[in-house]
Amino acid sequence: MRSELTPAKGFVISGLLSLLCGALFGVIGSWQHVLPNFVDAIPFVKSRPLHVSLVIAWIFLTAVGGVYHYLPKIVGVPLHSTRLAWLHLAVFIGTGFAVIASYFLGRFGGREYWEFPPALGIPIALSWSLLIYNFFRTANKHKGPWPAYLWMWATGVVFFLITYAEANLYLFPHFTSNMVRELTVQWKAYGALTGSWNLLVYGTAMVVMERSTGNTAIARSKLAYLLFGLGFTNLLFGWAHHIYPVPSALWIRILAYAISMTEWIILARMIHQWRATMEDGKNGSSTLFGRFLFASEVWVFLNLGVALLISIPAINLFAHGTHVIVAHAMGSTIGINTTILFASVFFIGERAHSGPTRAGFWIFNGSLLAFWLCLLGAGIVKGWFTVMTDLPFQKITEKIWPFIAGFAVSGIGLFTGLSLLVWGALKVLLASNNKEEGDAHGTVELDAIPVENRCPSMPEKVMQHQR
Amino acid sequence: MVAFNKVLDGSNGPSGFGVHRHRVVYFVLVGLFILQSGLTYTVSTEAASPAVELNDAAQRGEALYREFNCTACHQFYGLGGHMGPDLTNVTVAAGKGPDFARAVIFHGSGLMPNLAVSKEQADDLVAFLEAVAATGTYPIRSLDLTPWGTYEQMHSDAK
Repeated sequence: MRSELTPAKGFVISGLLSLLCGALFGVIGSWQHVLPNFVDAIPFVKSRPLHVSLVIAWIFLTAVGGVYHYLPKIVGVPLHSTRLAWLHLAVFIGTGFAVIASYFLGRFGGREYWEFPPALGIPIALSWSLLIYNFFRTANKHKGPWPAYLWMWATGVVFFLITYAEANLYLFPHFTSNMVRELTVQWKAYGALTGSWNLLVYGTAMVVMERSTGNTAIARSKLAYLLFGLGFTNLLFGWAHHIYPVPSALWIRILAYAISMTEWIILARMIHQWRATMEDGKNGSSTLFGRFLFASEVWVFLNLGVALLISIPAINLFAHGTHVIVAHAMGSTIGINTTILFASVFFIGERAHSGPTRAGFWIFNGSLLAFWLCLLGAGIVKGWFTVMTDLPFQKITEKIWPFIAGFAVSGIGLFTGLSLLVWGALKVLLASNNKEEGDAHGTVELDAIPVENRCPSMPEKVMQHQR
Repeated sequence: MVAFNKVLDGSNGPSGFGVHRHRVVYFVLVGLFILQSGLTYTVSTEAASPAVELNDAAQRGEALYREFNCTACHQFYGLGGHMGPDLTNVTVAAGKGPDFARAVIFHGSGLMPNLAVSKEQADDLVAFLEAVAATGTYPIRSLDLTPWGTYEQMHSDAK
């Protein structure tokens, strides 16, 4: 029996296919660092934007799919307009194909990460407006106080549109006529834009945790709102660590430095939470989505540590412009966002999972660790020789070659693991035997979830103090 | 936004944390964000030197830089791709300069493809690179660190 195709599933399935294609272009791009003529029909100037845009599309499509899926279940009413959600998906996918075509044809015009002609940003913004409308019309029917994840989603959907518009300010000569302003505003927008999609993803993580544990106090505790406020503050003001070397006003950079350091609070809380989880002897190994949530915690820990270190200007001096920043970006988008989104996908789809999918989990995480360490190694070596010596670019590139080769090889492992996971996810999404699909209103009986299948990575011991 | 505001008034707001206080904090943050954005768009990134403002040729070069997707491989101030070198100071670096940049743009070099540009386009790209070079120096090789985890050049280069 096949399950009914909903807009939410349409988004998630599109996201999975986007991830697979994006990862393939990533493999091509990484090998072009090692073998310059590798797949010369798609040169690096094309493979890189194809990789980046498709992987970002995976994050957006799947996070939005999660919002469309969970929101009616949380509020207890159907989505305000399923038709608008389908329209959103249709416009988003149609624009996506236009973006891919523009890259293949070599028609660029945008800036890094959004290299497509800027006119294609208009349908993206318009379709996003449909999401905002649908979201608030549905969420407004929620009885009682909003849990933290609804705040996170509400802020994420609104601020994505604001910061996406800001990322296009370069179309006005006032911004492009001054390179310091141009670079500053570009990275101001990008930093906040990343923060806004992180709010969508982290909100989803909180929902999966709540629905898998049945603990509704987690997302309603003071601590949850406090952490949301901290994340929101970082989204708004913590972006300038990207531009420490750019000669903009000092206060912009010092403010970002100070704000970024507040994330030590999150790190300290994580360590405390982790200890509590470990003392409970629960590590999320009983379900695939539980494993992904646990893996995401490991990746958050690793990446937050790197992010905090590179936010210190004296360390940033060596890390900026190197593969350390790439490791941070890849670790965040793949290690954190992708693991959380896979947790959501497997929670939506089914709790059972086959051997190849389990193998995919381990191949994915193992390869990602090797990939991440190779990038960190390359970045540290490059940073050292760039700052401490006058070696030309070519000589430094030769010194980091072993790390780049390791990065390319582990990229194949990463692609293999992702392929197994995408295949497993598609199979379970297209099947119908899952509880989370729920009844007409999407309300799921949390008590129906066996204890052994509940997500154990939540800090129940800690959260009990918050009730 | 009506629905959003409804959330922020008492009925749908969070309990236990103080609805009113939460609302005030949220809007103070948004207000500060707007203020910070305004300052960033204007005075805080105003150039102290007129050389930082891009002339017409440099602005055309900036558009070409985007159209050829040069950022896939190259960086300014360490921001961009990693396959090619950082170009912030390529037109003023020892052993390089505008003619060197123009030659590489025309003919390609190593991994750098031949962009098949016209002479005018090459001149515009070089004008853009010269304008970027006038904004500052990168990479920073000063190791005058402060006790606060910053470095001296970060303070001295601020406009």
